Amino acid sequence: MNSSSVSAAVPPRAAAAPAVPSAASREVVLIALLVVGVVLAGSAMQLFVEPGPVALVASAAIAGAAVFALGYLIPGRLRQTLAGFRFVSTLLFALAVAAILGTLVLQGKSSEMYRARYGAIGDVIVALRLDDIFHSVWFGGLLALFLAAVLNSAILRWPVKARNAGFFTCHAGLLLSLAGAALSTTMSVKGRVDLHAGGEHANAVAVTRGGSFTGQALPLGFDLRLDRFDVVRYDAEYRIAYYEQARRVVDGRAQESWTLKASFDPELAKHRLPGGDSFKVKAFYPDLVVRPRPAAAGQPGTPALQVFVAGQEQWVFAGTRIDAADGLVTVAFDRALPSVPDAKAAVLVSLSDHKVVVRGMDGEATHDLADGLALAGNLIRIGKVMEDATRLPEYATASKELRNPAVLLEVAEDGRGREALLVAREGGGFRLGRGGAIAFEHREDEVKAFRSDVTVSDGSVVKKAVITVNDPLSFGSWTFYQANYDPRDPTYSGLEAVKDPGVPWVFLGFALISIGVFYMFYVESRLKRQKA
Amino acid sequence: MLTYILVEHPFFAATSALYAASVGLYAYAWRSTRTLVGQLATAMMCAALAANLSLVVGRWIEADRAPFKSLFESLVFLSFTMGAVYLVMERLYRTRVFGALAAVGSFGALLFAVTKWDAEIVKLPPALQSGWFIPHVVVYFVGYGALFFATAVAVLQLLASRTPFFQRLLQLKAGTVLSGKALDLEQVTYDAVKFGFVLLTVGLLVGSVWAKSAWGDFWVWDPKENWSLVTWLVYGAYLHLRRVKGWRGNKAAWLAIAGFGVVMFTYLGMEMLPTAKESAHVYTGQ
Repeated sequence: MNSSSVSAAVPPRAAAAPAVPSAASREVVLIALLVVGVVLAGSAMQLFVEPGPVALVASAAIAGAAVFALGYLIPGRLRQTLAGFRFVSTLLFALAVAAILGTLVLQGKSSEMYRARYGAIGDVIVALRLDDIFHSVWFGGLLALFLAAVLNSAILRWPVKARNAGFFTCHAGLLLSLAGAALSTTMSVKGRVDLHAGGEHANAVAVTRGGSFTGQALPLGFDLRLDRFDVVRYDAEYRIAYYEQARRVVDGRAQESWTLKASFDPELAKHRLPGGDSFKVKAFYPDLVVRPRPAAAGQPGTPALQVFVAGQEQWVFAGTRIDAADGLVTVAFDRALPSVPDAKAAVLVSLSDHKVVVRGMDGEATHDLADGLALAGNLIRIGKVMEDATRLPEYATASKELRNPAVLLEVAEDGRGREALLVAREGGGFRLGRGGAIAFEHREDEVKAFRSDVTVSDGSVVKKAVITVNDPLSFGSWTFYQANYDPRDPTYSGLEAVKDPGVPWVFLGFALISIGVFYMFYVESRLKRQKA
Repeated sequence: MLTYILVEHPFFAATSALYAASVGLYAYAWRSTRTLVGQLATAMMCAALAANLSLVVGRWIEADRAPFKSLFESLVFLSFTMGAVYLVMERLYRTRVFGALAAVGSFGALLFAVTKWDAEIVKLPPALQSGWFIPHVVVYFVGYGALFFATAVAVLQLLASRTPFFQRLLQLKAGTVLSGKALDLEQVTYDAVKFGFVLLTVGLLVGSVWAKSAWGDFWVWDPKENWSLVTWLVYGAYLHLRRVKGWRGNKAAWLAIAGFGVVMFTYLGMEMLPTAKESAHVYTGQ
């Protein structure tokens, strides 16, 4: 077909009748007018009405009633539009945009903060009241349209039948939740009760708004006493940590910092590190003690004496001493007879004299130095003597308690091995050839729970209870939440007191929404199929 | 890092390998005319899921708490829920056409988890020690799994409308489309979104009840709360718009994909927000 035939077949545009907008496009225009109109009107009203809980609820209720009434009283396009899926979808998107905006602009801060943080835009944010979006009149206007849409669509679907019960349940839940939220926003009271353990009590709440004290005190109507407060911590933990150096940008400046890349239990095992090296945990000492151990020097060295204290082998080098039986007995060894004037009871061993002098409360006794000599009721037994010894450290654990934890590692770097003792309390660690570092560390004893043991009494009822995070106490019309503590004052516990009449309605609404959505998707559709 | 994972966490590596093998087998099933290939793909996916579940359970035992605290842990769980939801859908729709995309999702989640590797297991702070913690996370992540599946199908729908190769995939019978009926991709997406939306609803509401018991407020306009609401609103809009003339077909598919984009931002993007510091929800270990 050539161009001339096209122009012959299709009438020229100029001759066409003016295009009549379709019903859909008219609906789109009406929706746009409604949504944009409500947002603009709400923004303009904010010049006269301060945003806040009351402004939000009042604007949503008044505008919602007005739009619903208009839709109900003016049958035809407006009601159809308000009850339509397109309108609800648009509102859902508009509410989503408002919610997103609330995450892009910090909410509820001071005007100065916005100016400092955003510069000139800060003034615009404050002027448009984008600093309190969720209490703004225009947000209330959007909720109003949503309420009107739900009510109009409900009227359109009335009466309730098995085949549309899900719709009614879900949307009744939405309305109930919003009504409950409105009640919460306007009627709830929050406050603080700060107490010290040991019996401090209160019968009033210091009212707060937005986290700040208002100066107002409300009577509880009963007495609340803090008997005890505990900060429960997780058990102490020690880890072999592997760090790598990383470049980070902090406040626009590049900084080198060590980043934890992996950590391991101090159990006897071999491990591979993310950097490519490996290590083996050769020993773990919960309560490290370093004892000297002799080795044959092969040249003139220091004499050393083997001593068994309660069966435990120890070595005493010439000129030194050890304490046994919790310090009650001292064993001293030297070439000549050593002197320990500060010891109440002592075993003094002289190598040159080959004598052992036992000095106690009952006097002195002298024995010949001999392997196997038992003293102090077998508490101490003399072993062998090494004439020329050199000192080597011997690692051992004094107990199973985590008093001085340490690990002995054998690290393999590029095929070369080395041994290292890492003591946690010394901040023990070392760098690896490839740039990483290994350390043996004590993990902070993190808080596991804050626990307030309280007693509430109103004259007739006395109740003991424990308040923890996630486990508040409800008494009378108040609910108390564990909210604060002071690491510098272990007796202090901060409780938040809340009185919120909207909560039961909100949660009932939530339940209805969940049930309604499920019913709508999985029961209604089945019923409709059966009918079809 | 790879050697470290292979040596220190061989089960994680094995799970990833099983998912990778599932991707390969499901993709091969697209071309193969033998039923056995499809059956092998399903078996491999089952094995991957079993391994993934044992990763979750193992971590649970090791940490002595539900392993949903850090981003790494949640990614491992997400990998499982995406795969598990897919297997249910495979059974429900009697098709393996979506298998490769689903396995890519699970495998991708594990690969991403490698970049967010936990240096060590962190302890649960008091606020997370709640009976609501597990249902809240499980419900959400199964919902995310369903919405991922819906997105995969929507992607396939868009590709099929443009590319003959993907168009042909939907007509294969051997080992892939087992029912013998033509697949209505849009209906599959819609069904998956419906399922995901129910779970998003329950998750949002459970989270709200939990917030009330922990902080005394059922809603504090926290950035994560807001974005969870945005997710719910966007999918709510999808479900409503689908009833509007002209909003089915590719438009609906694009909207389903956009919805999952919002899900992913809600899950992973909170740190990018200027209000992130105000949030009590930003994952640790990122």
